[in-house]
Amino acid sequence: MNPLRRFLRVPEARAGVVILAALLAMALSASLFFPGDPQAIAGPALLPPFKDWSLPLGTDRLGRDVLAELFHGARTSLAVGIAAAAAALVIGAIIGTLAGFAGGLIDELLMRTTDAFQTVPSFLLALAFVSVVGPSLGVVVAAIALGAWTGPARVARAEVLSIRERDFVAGARVTGMHPLEIAFREILPNALPPVLALSSVIVAAAILTEAALSFLGLGDPNRVTWGGMIAEGRAVLRTAPFLSIIPGIALVLTVLGVYLAGEGVVETTAVRRSLS
Amino acid sequence: MSDFRISRRTMLASSAMLLASTAMPGIGWAQTPKKGGRLVVAADSEPRNLNPAIVASNGVFFISSKIVETLAEASFDGKDGLEPRLALSWQSAPDGLSVTFKLREGVKWHDGKPFTSADVAFSALQIWKPLQNLGRSVFKDLEAVDTPDDLTAVFKFAKPTPFQLIRNALPALSSVVPKHVYETGKIEDNPANNAPVGTGPFKFAEYKAGQYYRLQKNTDYWGKDEPYLDEIIYQVLPDRTSAASALEAEEIHLAAFSAVPLADLDRISKVPGLKVITKGYEGLTYQLVVEINHRRKELADLKVRQAIAHAIDKDFVVKTIFLGYAATATGPVPKNDPQFYTADVPTYAFDVAKANALLDEAGYIRGANGKRFSLKLLPAPYFNETKQFGDYLRQALAAIGIDAELVNNDSPAHIKAVYTDHAFDLAVGPPVFRGDPAISTTILVQSGIPDGVPFSNQGGYKNEALDALIAKASETLDSAARTELYKEFQKKVVEDLPLINVAEWSFISVARDTVGNIANNPRWAVSNWADTYLES
Repeated sequence: MNPLRRFLRVPEARAGVVILAALLAMALSASLFFPGDPQAIAGPALLPPFKDWSLPLGTDRLGRDVLAELFHGARTSLAVGIAAAAAALVIGAIIGTLAGFAGGLIDELLMRTTDAFQTVPSFLLALAFVSVVGPSLGVVVAAIALGAWTGPARVARAEVLSIRERDFVAGARVTGMHPLEIAFREILPNALPPVLALSSVIVAAAILTEAALSFLGLGDPNRVTWGGMIAEGRAVLRTAPFLSIIPGIALVLTVLGVYLAGEGVVETTAVRRSLS
Repeated sequence: MSDFRISRRTMLASSAMLLASTAMPGIGWAQTPKKGGRLVVAADSEPRNLNPAIVASNGVFFISSKIVETLAEASFDGKDGLEPRLALSWQSAPDGLSVTFKLREGVKWHDGKPFTSADVAFSALQIWKPLQNLGRSVFKDLEAVDTPDDLTAVFKFAKPTPFQLIRNALPALSSVVPKHVYETGKIEDNPANNAPVGTGPFKFAEYKAGQYYRLQKNTDYWGKDEPYLDEIIYQVLPDRTSAASALEAEEIHLAAFSAVPLADLDRISKVPGLKVITKGYEGLTYQLVVEINHRRKELADLKVRQAIAHAIDKDFVVKTIFLGYAATATGPVPKNDPQFYTADVPTYAFDVAKANALLDEAGYIRGANGKRFSLKLLPAPYFNETKQFGDYLRQALAAIGIDAELVNNDSPAHIKAVYTDHAFDLAVGPPVFRGDPAISTTILVQSGIPDGVPFSNQGGYKNEALDALIAKASETLDSAARTELYKEFQKKVVEDLPLINVAEWSFISVARDTVGNIANNPRWAVSNWADTYLES
């Protein structure tokens, strides 16, 4: 059976895929359905949801369209989540492979650096980084990646340690391949699957971290983010709770979707392993 | 409904006040204050330095004005808007070179020592003039304070100084601290800055960081039968959303300085046992101002500044951002100022088409993407409203083809960026009008102010005519002539737009029904609360 169909037979995976697809559709269609600046003032302030069908989810304190903000916020959340996870995976995989393959002093050096990063709570690291450099989307991505690469690095190193003793590596050595070539062309691709399995966790964590940073006012103020929407809604929590609840639900669904899809991947690979 | 309730209460309160001031004492159908009780108040910040003589700011006054008193307090119906405190009378010499204060007799410091003119002389010369944020400019020409006897202090000025300015400065700038406590050692490091000693109705008792400040009744207070309260607790509630729930849960009696968010007021005014009070802040008007960096070539062009003024819908700002708890501004002096305000200034009506035309005229044509030029916009982080206005202004500028990029900073970073590094094009600031333009308003447009002075002209604006006008007003002794000069000042500022005044707002108090004598002077939240009481 092909892996995709096997994957789709796992119920969690189906749910996850549906949610993520919806989210992706939202992010991609944001400019189509809501062209122009989502922060533009579209109507009277604090319009409750489902009152006016031209503004189905109502408006916020300044009269901005909540639905438009939600769509454009999906874009920011996904972009930050995926970019931060990609950056963390690339950095982690490279450092882990180098450490595992080289061993000795380089291994020590890289792993102690990893330890150092791991001892600092990643959210605190991101908070400090953003408040020093100043909030913008790139900085937020870098700040999240900064605290997230250590997990992939450790997993990659462990895999590399076991792979580098295999026969095909010895074979590559005998043919006179450059050690770096062996590390990155022979070993890394084989060490990658368990590292990639971490990606769903990292994406989910990155989306939450971005939301938390925006909530604290450290997101990019020129973009709509769900965390920022929740923070703005907080001041009117008692009178207009929907302003915090709507982006909150979006956030929960996204993280749930990413998690379920990740779970599906794990299930699928577990089934495959037990089959083989 | 809520409006009706508020106005009915205000009516009742003001009629009660009227009765209290005119009716004979002892006839008790206007409520007689009860003695005793502990008033619990929400505090949203924890100032480290509690010495109001050094740090003349509302955050400090809120707590320390109950402990340390000034020479006079603002008043709704007193002569020149003043009511005596430590001074009983003040008189200026015709040449404007001296002001004589007659002091109250029988006043004692909290440590039992008598209060004398030496304390006033010491406070004025050693603290207000050299150290105080506002006193530095108002008392810059103060040369000496003579003390012919214990109850007379004569301020001597090197240059003629307008009596009107000194009078207007008394409520905020004249906190008197004890000479015997401060005369040894460095004043800035004196432990009494954190545990103030004063003559006020309440003594400083304790401070637990992150929890509360506790003030205790001063049984030796000079006011007859005052204070009524036994204790005031300032409960530290840094989270703005928690003050409303604390009031509803009857954990606190009073949340001043708009600690309850504006959006919650409508709901909370309907809660039985709570009242929303909009009075008592008339002397503390904040102004919502767009600060402009005139070093930017585009912004140095008057047409561009006029276009920005036309692009701002002030009514929208008042209605949506301040939910009606504000007024639109016409110029650098707020409408509610009884002495200086003039409506006779140019106006900039909300008119996007005109704004666009002005920008075209100035030569900034829209590019292919519809944008004329880009700007950096720094909203001050101190108030929700300044941040929201930043969001609004970005949209208003987008409508006229100016692409504004918002830059959010925390308070220290914002102050550094705007007032020291000048790393801004537009900024949103909340300066305070303190009853006289010379105290903290003229420095917003005056040139030659050193870098790093917060809430001053750091936009590189220079207008010799305006500078000359400010200088002339600062040495004009006659109140009427001086007032005229400041009216001229308002006109010139609005004409040339060194900055754009958008709205002016004050604060709202929410209190339990049991708190009496609230908002009975224009600076009530930062006055001494000697007559505040609690019904049981």
